[in-house]
Amino acid sequence: MRVVIIGNGVAGIEAALALRAREPAWSITIVSEESDHFFSRTALMWVLSGQLSHRCIEPHERDLYARMRFERVRARALGVDAALRQIRLAGRPPLDFDQLLIACGSRPRPGPWPGAELDGVGAFVSLQDLEWLEAELHGGPSRGGRPPNPDAHVALAPADSPYRPRTSLRARRGGPPRHPVVIGGGLIGIEAVEVMLAAGLRPRFYVREDSFWPVALDAREAAVVTEALRAHGADVRLGEHVEALVDDGQGAVGAVRSDAGEEPCDLCVVAIGVEPNTGWLVGSGVSLDARGGVVTSERLETSVEGIYAAGDCAAVRWFDGTTRPEPLWYTARAQGRVAARAMLGDSVRYDRGPWFNSAKLMDLEYTTAGLVNQHMEGEHNWFFEERREAGGALRSTLRVVLAGERVVGFNALGRRWNHAVWVRWIEERRPLGWVLDHLAEAAFDTELVPPLVIPREARERAPERPATRSNEAPVAAPRY
Amino acid sequence: MELQGQNGLLATFREPWRTRGGVAYAVAGALIGFYTLLYFRDHLGVAGGALDPEAWAAALGLRSRWLLYGALYSLAMIGGAAYYLRRHGNARYNRWRIGVNVGVQVVLAFTLPLVMPYFFTGDPGQFWKYEYYFSYFWPLDWYKLHPGSLQNVPVVFAIYSIVGALVAAPLLAYFYGKRWYCSWVCGCGGLANTFGDPWRHLTSTSTRSWRFEKRAVHTIMFLAIASTLLLFLDHLVGDRNATFHRLIDGGQWWSMKSLYGYVVGAILAGVIGTGLYPLLGPRVWCRNFCPMAALLGLFQKLGRFRITVKPDMCISCGNCTTYCEMGIDVRSYAQSNESFTRAACVGCGMCAHVCPRGVLKLENAPKLQADKKRTGLPVVNL
Ligand SMILES: Cc1cc2nc3c(=O)[nH]c(=O)nc-3n(C[C@H](O)[C@H](O)[C@H](O)COP(=O)(O)OP(=O)(O)OC[C@H]3O[C@@H](n4cnc5c(N)ncnc54)[C@H](O)[C@@H]3O)c2cc1C
Ligand code: SF4
Ligand code: SF4
Repeated sequence: MRVVIIGNGVAGIEAALALRAREPAWSITIVSEESDHFFSRTALMWVLSGQLSHRCIEPHERDLYARMRFERVRARALGVDAALRQIRLAGRPPLDFDQLLIACGSRPRPGPWPGAELDGVGAFVSLQDLEWLEAELHGGPSRGGRPPNPDAHVALAPADSPYRPRTSLRARRGGPPRHPVVIGGGLIGIEAVEVMLAAGLRPRFYVREDSFWPVALDAREAAVVTEALRAHGADVRLGEHVEALVDDGQGAVGAVRSDAGEEPCDLCVVAIGVEPNTGWLVGSGVSLDARGGVVTSERLETSVEGIYAAGDCAAVRWFDGTTRPEPLWYTARAQGRVAARAMLGDSVRYDRGPWFNSAKLMDLEYTTAGLVNQHMEGEHNWFFEERREAGGALRSTLRVVLAGERVVGFNALGRRWNHAVWVRWIEERRPLGWVLDHLAEAAFDTELVPPLVIPREARERAPERPATRSNEAPVAAPRY
Repeated sequence: MELQGQNGLLATFREPWRTRGGVAYAVAGALIGFYTLLYFRDHLGVAGGALDPEAWAAALGLRSRWLLYGALYSLAMIGGAAYYLRRHGNARYNRWRIGVNVGVQVVLAFTLPLVMPYFFTGDPGQFWKYEYYFSYFWPLDWYKLHPGSLQNVPVVFAIYSIVGALVAAPLLAYFYGKRWYCSWVCGCGGLANTFGDPWRHLTSTSTRSWRFEKRAVHTIMFLAIASTLLLFLDHLVGDRNATFHRLIDGGQWWSMKSLYGYVVGAILAGVIGTGLYPLLGPRVWCRNFCPMAALLGLFQKLGRFRITVKPDMCISCGNCTTYCEMGIDVRSYAQSNESFTRAACVGCGMCAHVCPRGVLKLENAPKLQADKKRTGLPVVNL
């Protein structure tokens, strides 16, 4: 059996490991344009700041491929021939396969404004983006060095490859950027801002919405994060719409024009989301959905038999019944494992279960489970701000979301929580009172941190209707 | 907000002195030189000269170079603690742990040994009996359970030595993990966590280093126990068996007692253990050679301490593994949703502290949390 996996990311490598664990004799080839080694994309920001080295963000020892007998091909896949069962590669003869896994991840969504292709404008998604920003912010890689074999793909990378290196303007500028800008108020945006702040810069942060990250935070929570950003020196522009990136006369970005006016800019990180990295599959016979996600069945098989998809590039069924790509680490990992089992012939189904996630927004730890910003029928929110003393500094926030009587979601800033316990409560359809009585069971704070105490009057406060954010139609309460 | 996790980003890998740059080699050279003078003063022919640590101690009015060493040690820990707390002091566990550890060093491992002799005896020849270090136990302080020491020190100290080493230390390790000692009390651990903290990410996390660790540390543990038993045997039969006595405790450099002292106490714990901080990380001794760590590690493995992993939340970033001073690949457990207890773990709490997703929690709980069973996303077999 010849298995080819396109993608050396978490979905690809998890699948390869799961296949090898059961099939010692199969030939497993991993094609990757970006890197020789699997690394954690989620950890790019720490390499950029110097907190971690390249080797630190590789979850396996470098001899993994030899030990597991994974063949590696460092090249860009240009297309699939479903009938011949071949993969076309840039600058190399095609590869034959019996089964194929497409795990090619996502690429940054390009800025829709004029000037988005200027020098000095880029994303923060790939190793090549990291290398570009290391050069811009710090003048080069940290003492941890570059990843091994960084340029192996460069000569053959077509112009539309998301893994093409970018040139740094640092030399021309004579130093780090003076007016760095980040556009896009989501997770990658805030990570880019944090790294710039750590490098001693004061980035301007454009957020189109009126509050930070509205898909996950309500206005009060977003205000806490915005305040933290400002306290650290970021210039946060809420509700400001970027209209154009302005040429400085030499083909590089010189200013950002927004609906509030034009301001200087000499480095611009665009972080307005990612999209499936599937341009190379167009016309191959593998069906893509409107967003570009590879259409998959419950067992993650694509429209072509024997070809599977997993990770950021795959459109999968969400907990709410819709089908779309899910650009998350833990789901990519789980999908890689499920796809491998499907390839091994097991009857499996990718079942995503209720939503949960966590993040760190600057210094604030964020944990969420269930539905928190869905604007549901009959939705009520119970919100609590923990203060050090009455009227004192904020210590944490907790929001419990109810649909009717039952708890359907949790959103928390500033403390650590075990989302798995929350998910169980959601599945057990617990009411608010019960949940507040049992909160300590979900606490996951480090030792010696005083537990959250909810005073009686807060506990008995009736949950409020959420402030209506938009005129979207309310969604139905979840069925699980 | 009260922050419990890593506060701000570190620039570790951009700082040459923390990543084996020239300064790191210079510091290592200075430390190795210092320890060589300290331990091998009598063999280097420096006595009376400018390089004689005894002369330095005398100039400061201290009874011996060991007290001078204790003073420098305490100062290094205090300075290191300031550095550590500036970085990681936002979390209570870190504040308490370092505070207690420095306190123990200053009070139990410096002040009391310094002053007790003056209170209990006026005879300088007897001073050594009262220069008692309450914070060190056999087998780390291997001499504490020697028949010679037990007989000669005041009886309260002898009882403390025996009960501490054989009852209290293992029991506490069973209930709280070896961290009660290695990260809260022990001076070696204390120096590693304060003065050595800037270099904690240098500890190797490779499988090879783990293999070496397991072999080395258990070998030394075995040697520590076996040699202590031999000393007791010698105590019983030595006067009837001159050759045996010469081999075990004859006073020559090649007798067992001296050899153990030189090799384990001076070279492994001192010269290499501390000297290589800036190059191999601060726990070279604790991880690979300390017999106490090995012994308590076994009790920890049987006991209640563990690191609980929150399922599916790990993003495999590697902060935990990188900043684990014992070279434990914490990420490998975290990303497989596996709560774990490793014998080597000193419970410093840094993995939990630096984890940006709050995946890890140190705990001493009798049984596994109910949700531990809930690992991985559900995959339904049809
Ligand atoms: C800065 C940043 C922070 C993030 N933080 C988080 C987080 O905190 N939590 C979270 O859940 N998620 C986070 N994510 C998202 C997460 O990283 C992704 O969901 C995850 O990496 C997806 O893995 P994957 O295996 O599907 O694809 P990828 O990791 O994108 O891997 C794609 C692979 O495909 C290869 N490839 C692609 N196209 C081709 C081609 N044509 N030919 C050959 N090879 C090709 C590439 O070389 C690469 O090896 C973050 C992402 C970024 C960028
Ligand atoms: S595993 Fe964690 S607590 Fe244990 S030694 Fe390593 S960093 Fe410290
Ligand atoms: S446990 Fe935390 S620090 Fe360790 S790899 Fe996972 S997310 Fe990173």
